[in-house]
Formats: sequence, structure tokens, C-alpha cells
Amino acid sequence: MEKKSLWKKITASREASLVIVLIVMLIVISIFSPSFLSPTNLGQIFRNNTLTMLMALGMLCVMLTAGIDISITSTLAFAGMGIGLLQKYDVIHNTLLLFIIGALIGLACGFLNGLIIAKGKIAPIICTMGFMYIWRGMAYVISNNNWASGQDVSGFSDFGKDGSPGPYIILVIAYVVFFIVMKWTKFGRSIYAVGSNPEAAQISGIKVDRVMIAVYTIMGLLSGLAGVLSVSIYASAQPNMQYGKEMDVIAACVIGGVSMSGGRGSVVGTFLGALIISIIAKALPLVGIDAIAQNLIKGVIIVFVVILNVITQRTMDRQNLLRREM
Amino acid sequence: MAGKSGRTIAATPQTGLKQKLLSLEGALVIIFILINVFGRVLSPNYNLSNVMRESPRYLAEIFMLFGMGFILVLGDIDISVGSIVCLSATIGCLTSNAGLPMGLAILITLLTGLCCGMINGFIATRFTELPTMIVTLGTQIIFRGIAEVSLGSGGSASLKDYEGIGILRAKVGPIPLAFFLIIICAVIFVIVLSRTTFGRHLYAIGSSKTAAQYAGVEVQKIRFFCFTLIGFLAGICGLFILASTYGANTTTGQGFEMEVIAMCVFGGIATTGGKGNLVGAFIASLVIVCLRIALGQINMNTQLILVIIGAMLIISVLVPSFRQRFLTLKKK
Amino acid sequence: MAEDLILELKGITKIFPGVKALDNVQFQLRRGEIHALMGENGAGKSTFIKVITGVHAAEEGHMYLNGQEVHFKGTQDAGAAGIAAVYQIPTSYMELTVTENIFIGHEIMKNGIIQWREMNKKAEELLARLHANFKVTEEVGALTIAQQQMVEIAKALSTDAKIIILDEPTAALTANESEELYRIVDELHEQGVSVIFISHRMEDMYRLAQRVTVFRDSRYIDTFDVDKITDKDLIKAMVGREITDMYPKPKVQIGQEIFKIENFSRLGYFKDVSLSVRAGEIVGLTGLVGAGRTETFQCVCGIEKPDSGRVFMNGKEVRIRKPKDAMEAGIILLPEDRRRQGLIMSWSLCDNVTLPIIEKLSKNNFIDHKKEYELSRNYLESVDTKAVSIFDKASTLSGGNQQKVVVAKALAQDHMKVVVMDEPTKGVDVGAKAEIYGIMGELAQKGYGIILISSEMPEILGMSDRIYVMCQGRVTGCLDREEVTQEKILELAMDQSGREVS
Repeated sequence: MEKKSLWKKITASREASLVIVLIVMLIVISIFSPSFLSPTNLGQIFRNNTLTMLMALGMLCVMLTAGIDISITSTLAFAGMGIGLLQKYDVIHNTLLLFIIGALIGLACGFLNGLIIAKGKIAPIICTMGFMYIWRGMAYVISNNNWASGQDVSGFSDFGKDGSPGPYIILVIAYVVFFIVMKWTKFGRSIYAVGSNPEAAQISGIKVDRVMIAVYTIMGLLSGLAGVLSVSIYASAQPNMQYGKEMDVIAACVIGGVSMSGGRGSVVGTFLGALIISIIAKALPLVGIDAIAQNLIKGVIIVFVVILNVITQRTMDRQNLLRREM
Repeated sequence: MAGKSGRTIAATPQTGLKQKLLSLEGALVIIFILINVFGRVLSPNYNLSNVMRESPRYLAEIFMLFGMGFILVLGDIDISVGSIVCLSATIGCLTSNAGLPMGLAILITLLTGLCCGMINGFIATRFTELPTMIVTLGTQIIFRGIAEVSLGSGGSASLKDYEGIGILRAKVGPIPLAFFLIIICAVIFVIVLSRTTFGRHLYAIGSSKTAAQYAGVEVQKIRFFCFTLIGFLAGICGLFILASTYGANTTTGQGFEMEVIAMCVFGGIATTGGKGNLVGAFIASLVIVCLRIALGQINMNTQLILVIIGAMLIISVLVPSFRQRFLTLKKK
Repeated sequence: MAEDLILELKGITKIFPGVKALDNVQFQLRRGEIHALMGENGAGKSTFIKVITGVHAAEEGHMYLNGQEVHFKGTQDAGAAGIAAVYQIPTSYMELTVTENIFIGHEIMKNGIIQWREMNKKAEELLARLHANFKVTEEVGALTIAQQQMVEIAKALSTDAKIIILDEPTAALTANESEELYRIVDELHEQGVSVIFISHRMEDMYRLAQRVTVFRDSRYIDTFDVDKITDKDLIKAMVGREITDMYPKPKVQIGQEIFKIENFSRLGYFKDVSLSVRAGEIVGLTGLVGAGRTETFQCVCGIEKPDSGRVFMNGKEVRIRKPKDAMEAGIILLPEDRRRQGLIMSWSLCDNVTLPIIEKLSKNNFIDHKKEYELSRNYLESVDTKAVSIFDKASTLSGGNQQKVVVAKALAQDHMKVVVMDEPTKGVDVGAKAEIYGIMGELAQKGYGIILISSEMPEILGMSDRIYVMCQGRVTGCLDREEVTQEKILELAMDQSGREVS
């Protein structure tokens, strides 16, 4: 067996190459703005992207089973609006209880997704598109053209206010739990198996339907949690919150190397993907690019990364062929 | 020329299959009628002239429906069309405001859409390994990003030349121009998909890209064409949006892609490719437009429409799935 | 009971919606024997295996393991009882590592945590037992088909199985790799494992099995001792009738050279391939799997782009950039994988047949359905397709009949001059095979040039007028019908440098 060179090992591992991209980015940004790496600034980056990072974990699971969920920000809005209103009308003000309620709303939404996709054999994009409309609409309907303002959620928003460790704690716990579950437990591996080869998984005795339902339920749970966090961090609840941001979550996963055809992707990669997107958003003004161009740059980077992936793969294939040269 | 064994094979089309296909369109027509009847009963304002007055702001989207139908039949998807609408409307607005004659601005609007479509098509056909969902997810962000940069810090622009664009708001009797154009498009696109060789090729690609390629179908050329086509149609949509709102902003066209896909799916086109037809999709789109106007007229919370669209979407795919299973159970 | 039976099944009946997949079937497996299960496609072999392994539950019948009656509710029950199967459809997880593939479903756990290190060690031991030379941390997708099969066998062994079932294990393997597999099965046999295997290849059965059981039309036919049976008896048991002439090769007046390719090369696949075909001639193209035969003709027919190469039809050069060009030049390819490349399985036979010529059946781009139906029926009947209607879906036909539809599709292109048939009888049962050879002969008689790409020695020897042999991407020889022998072909097909052959 030939020994792989270090360079090859790095290019072969998605995580390693992402780390390199990240380091290069950070160096360049620090040259322009030395204060970028200050703890406050980094804290800001995480705080502003807690929702994306949290939901990216669920999206990882969903995409590992070759699925997709575009209903997440609607679920987020529904759950967030729900707990916002509970406070507005002075029903509940207990932070923990609100978290549990929000998470349960999300869980129920996700479970419905999973049930219909697994048992009804409906394409994930269609089913979640349906619920994208339903939960967003429900958020509007229950809000009845009102919104929960900062005053309404005043006590609750302490949890997520600037400087509070709340969002970070949730994020760290979530990532640690997922890191362990995805790599070291039977359930985590069965998600990979289902995405990689569903028929084989069935034969190996894995309950494919249950895994599918579980995956969407987890996604829903995280979206519900993100909804609660969103209300807490931004100190308000509106029915249109985080509209269209599901694509950011998917983009984070794609950049992090999660394959859309299932079976490939990791928690670390997802984290790095989400981090890279967040840092770009924060750093653009610092390197002299107008904040307006943020989305443009983000889009270019996504397209660039996925095309680069294809080109790397093709070059690798070609090199393999060269070695076979007869 | 029967074979050696003299065995013969029947060559008369079975009508049973056709009836099955018809049933979805039939159901859609009934829903369409019901909505109109109930709308009329519940609100005296729900009448033809009001519907026609309200319709232009909903009609623009339907142009993209036909292109999306093609794309979905191909087994591809394009989620960047909402952003193309935004970008083309923005560019049209800005070029007109910069002093170009309206005719030229309109042409540029359409060309913008066309070019966006070509970019999608180029990436999708040059890098066939990539799912088009990812490609158009990327370009979705890019196209809107370009619009955002062009619109500057204000995030919106309004058209100065009200007069010039007026031609697009023209009416024949009570019926707006857009409506006529849509009917013409519907006829052309339905026929192309159902009766021509091109349509047959689309279904072939959607059912099996590999087998289609081996049979000599020019898969990538056709895919490129369809992406360009839907870009162009998004340009038309952008133009009509510009004409009805007299401007563009960073959220113009947001969510259109999903609405158009929803209409197609509701009308029986599968996102997995090779299935469905545009007749169903077109009726479905009319159903949704009428439903929207009707809800507006009877003073319901207009956002309730979202819940209804979502529910209809899920039911429309669940019913065939369960009916299929019911039939196999019965056979057992 | 006198015999020491490890597994016995009696009166098994399995009904799928609309079909009886197994009808009162029986089977006996002696302890430590290798038992072949044979029959045509659709005879019920695969379903039967799935009943044994608990994937399907039988409606009727009894199953005894070591004399005790057992009822499996799922694959895990069968696994726990010591039965493991290597299935025909690839059940590998391409994105996951070898270790993970081996242990999926029965990971080594401690307190709910997977013990990767221990699993890697165990996996290495298993691979060492099979003399495999790849790492357990490699992704299975990066392995060759034969290596993937080894992983599957390791998977079966990892459960300490006493009975291992192999479903068409050699179908995707080259001759060398098959040898390797025989060796592994022999070793398992020595270790006291009982083996059931399904195969279409007679060779597999003679090499390995002590006994053979034949199924036909979902029924049990008979069980034979391998050393007391002849090919003829076995075929009769499988097909239900005698096949007198397997290779009906008609005498054909061979004409002028009509097709020639020169110096076809594609990096990593094949190099400097030149060959020619005359009218009415059947030219065989053989070699080991991976020798570059299929890839060469994919390039000739415009599916892939060659790095270099020229094509001549009747002495005139034609430029082929896309499949359409090849078709217009009269070169028709019947692809290797008919389910993926040859047919659109969800389409009707009619639509499949007319797809390449749909433009010619149209007026101003509008399809003339009447013409379409008529024409497709004629061609489908001319190749004797067993179908009720031209509107039947391609997926409802058997492999052999699907292949006939592919032939009809080629015939419908009326300017066809050269037919390239890539493994036309792969996965086709014996009865339909003979029919396809018959069609091939008829085509030759009509003056078409035929290129038969095949790994099956008997069909190459039986049908070809001339045989080109490829090895490692190069044509290593061309043999005439008179001079050819199996040994000569093998010699040319094996790599002289000894890289592949060990």
C-alpha cells in the first residue's frame, strides 16, 4: 500500500480542507481588521448565527437521509409566534416552560413531516413545501396581525440578550450531543445507513420508516428551539421572522460537505460550513466590501465551492485514470 | 408481420389510463367552479370585473408556471426564478430611470431574465454531477444579491416613466392584456408538451436521463434550453410585476419559486420527473388565483391562503399515494 | 431422519399481490454441504432466499433449523439463528467504511457507545481470513466490485453464520475474481459452514456444489447430485423442454467491409483499438470485465468522448460527436445495462421503441400516434416479444423480453447497418437466450454487421465468425472461427505482464 501524502490526505478530507479555508479567511480578515478576532466580535458572530447553526444540525440529519426540509423557518415562526403570544397575553412567563412548549410545537410539526414523508411516500421537498406554507400561514393566523414586542417578552429576552451565555450554552450542548450521537451510537449510524442505501438498510434490520420520522422530528424540534431562541435573542416575535432563511441553513450544510444525495456529511463539517457563512457575513464590511453585497458574495461562494468540489473530484478521477495508463 | 410464433400484440390504446389522468384535471375543474360559486355567494364583490381588476398582480407568476412545468418534467428544479424576477424588474426599472426609452428597457428586462436562465443552464449542463437544487440555490442568492447591489442602500426603486409601461396594463374590455398572453402561452406550452417530439423528449429525459441519451435525445441541449426558457419567462413575470407595482425592491418576487412549484405539483406534475402535464398545472394556478381574490373579497385573513395552499398541496400528493396503496391492497 | 439436515423447508407458499411467487416449495440443506439453487429468472429463487432470511414471511409452510421448527419475524431473527445472506442487489453502503459495512445492524456496543477500535480489529481479522488486501477504513465505494463482494461475505461471516446464502455471487465478477470467490467458498466449506448459492452459470455449480435444486415457475422441480447430472438434464429441468440448438448460427454469405474503427483511445480505458466488420458477419469482442470493450463502443457511439479515433462506414469517414450522429450513420448500440441504458422502465413498449425515431413519425414536430402504434407493434411482433399490448410497461416484462424490446427499438431505425450488442444475454434465462441468438442469426442473414460484446465464452464461440480479444484496453488478437479455441482466447485475454493474473 502506498502512503498517502499529507496534501492528499487534506484534500481528501472535507473537514481538513474547510479548516484550511477558515484559517486563510481569518488571516486575511485579521490583516484588514486586527480586532476581528476579539472575543466580543467572535461572540457576536455566534450569537447572530445561533439559529442557522442550530438548525444546520437537523438539516444535516435530514440531508443524510437524502431528504430536505424547507419548512424549518415556518416551523420556527409558528413556534416563536406561539410562545410570543403566550407572553403577550400573560399566560406563561416561565422561561424554561416557554422553551419546552416551543420545542414541543416544533417537535409536533416535524413529526407530521416525518410521518407523511415516511408513510405517505411523498417527496420530502413537496411535503415540507406544503408545511412551509401551512406553518407560516398559521403563524400569521394566530398572530391576528399583531406581534409580540420587546416589552411583551421583556423577562424572557434576558436569556438571549447580548452578553447572556444562554444561546452559546444551547449551541454547545447541541453540537456535543450530535457529535456523539452521529458517530458513536447505533441511531446515528442508522441515519447514515438509510441515506446511503435504504434497501440495504431495510435488509440489515433497520426500521427505515422510523429513522425517517425521527430525523424530521429532530429537525422540527431544533426549529422549534430556534423559534424560541429567536424570540429571546431579537426580543420580539413576528409571523414573518427568518423568512427565507432556510436556504442559509441548507447552504451551510452544502458548504460543509453534506451531500444532497444522502449518506455523506458530518457534524464537524456542518459546523465549519455554518461558521464560514457567518464569518463572511460579518467580515465583508471590514474588508471594505459594502454590506449590501453580502448576499451576492455569499451566493458566489456557494456556487464556487460546489463547482470546485466537482472539479476536484474530476481531477482526482482523471489522476486515477492516469495511474491506470496502459 | 407477426413473429414466428404468430403471437400478436394489441395496439389499441386503453382508455382506462386516460380516464385516470383525466380525473385529476376533472377534480381541479370542480374545485375551480366551487370556489367561484362560493365566492359569489359569500361576497357580492366577487364578480368578473372585480376578479379581472384584482388579477394582474397574481397573474404575472403564471408565466413561469409553464417553464417550471418543463423543468419539473425534466426531473430538474429551479428555485432561482423568484430572484430572476427581482433582478429583471430591478434592471428594467433602473435602465428606464436612467433615461432609456421604455421599449429598450423592456427588452433589457427580458434579456436579463434570459441571461440568468442561461447561467443556470450553463452550470447545470456543464457540471451535471450537481443537483440543480444546489445550483439554483446558489444562483438564487447571487441574482437577488446583484439586484440588492444595483438598488443600493435604499433597497428599492420606483419607475419614473409611468406612461411607457402603460401598454402592459392595457385591457381588452375588462380583461387585462396579461390574461390574454397567459392563455396564448398556455395553449402553446400545453400542445408542445403533450403532442410534439420535443415534449416526448422532455418526458424521456425526466424518466431516465441515461436511457434518453442512449436513444439519441440531446439531453444537455434540451436542459439548457429549458433553463433559458424559464429564465426568459421569469423576465416576462418581472416585467409585469414592474408594470403593476411601478417599481422593484429587494423582496420583489420572493417566494415566487415555491408558489410556482406548488401550483405545478398541485396540478399533478411530480418533482421526480417524467410525470404530469400542464393542463392540470394551469387549472391549478387559476384555482389558486381565484382563491386568493375570493379570500380578499370576503375579508378573511389573507394569510390564511398560505395554510390553504399548503394543505391542498399535501392532500393533492397524498391522495394518489394512498389510492395506489388501497388499490394494491384490494388486489391482494 | 437418516440425513443430517441443518435446514429444511416444506410446503412454502408465498403470495405477492396478484402473483404466487412460491408455490408449495421444499428444500433440504445438509450440514456442511454446498448446495446450488438454479432456475430461470422469475422461478422464485430470490423470493425463496428472502423467506429463509426472514425478509418475507411465507403464507404457508414450515421451516426447520437443526430439526426444530422456526419462525423468523425479520432479518434479525434469521441472523441470530446463524443464517446470513449476500444478496444479488448490492447491499453495500458506498459512502461508509468497510468496518461499518461489515458491522451495520450488529455493531459492537458498550453502554450504548459504538466501539470503533474493537470493530476495526475484528473487521481486519475477518478480511485476513478472506485474504483480502484492502484496509478496513476505506470507503466501500472506492473498492472494486469483487472487493465489495468480499466485504459482503465478511459481513455474513461477522455474525458467526452457520449457513451462508450467496445470491448470484459471480454475476459481476471476472474470471479471476470468480476463481478467488470459489477459493473463499471452498474455505468456508472446510470450516464447516453450509452454503446455498444461486447462479446462472453452470460452471459455478460444477466447481462448487455437491447438490443442486431446481425451481421452475415458482415450483420445486427436483434435487440432483451434481456428479450424476448432465447439462442437458439440468437445462431440461430448468426450462421445461429440451433446447436442441442453443446457437442457431445460419450460413451467411459474408460481404464487403462496412464498418471500421481506427486507433480509438481514451485515457485510462482503452488505447489504439482498431477493428472492422463485414456485411453479414458476426464479430465477437471478448476479454475480461474491465478490458475496455464496453467503453470503446460507448465512445464509438458518441456516448462518451474518446481522446482519438476514427470511424469509417463503407470506407467513408464519419464524424461522431453525439449518439445521434452514430445512429444517423447506421451504428446502433444495444447497451449493456438495458434497465438503465436501454429502456425507460416506466414507459410503455411502444414509447420505448419509437423514442429514437420519434422525429420521423411526426409531421411538423407533431407526433402521428397511429403511425407510431402501428410501427412499434410490427417491430415488437417481428422479434416475438411476449407482451399483451404495446402499452404494457417495460418494467413488467422479463429480462429476455426486455432485451427483445431493445432489439425492436434498434430495428425500428431502418437505416441501421451495424448493430453493437453489449452483453445481450446478461441476466436472460436459458429459453430467451436461444431466441436472442436466433434473432442475431437472422440479422446477419439480412446483411447487417454485428458486433457481439460478451464475457460468456460459449456464446462468443457459438455465434462469432471472427473474434477480437481485448486485454487491459488493447486489442491483443483477432481469431477466425476455424482456428479459435477457448484456450487461445483466454491466453489473449490474460495480461502477459502478470499484473492482473496472480
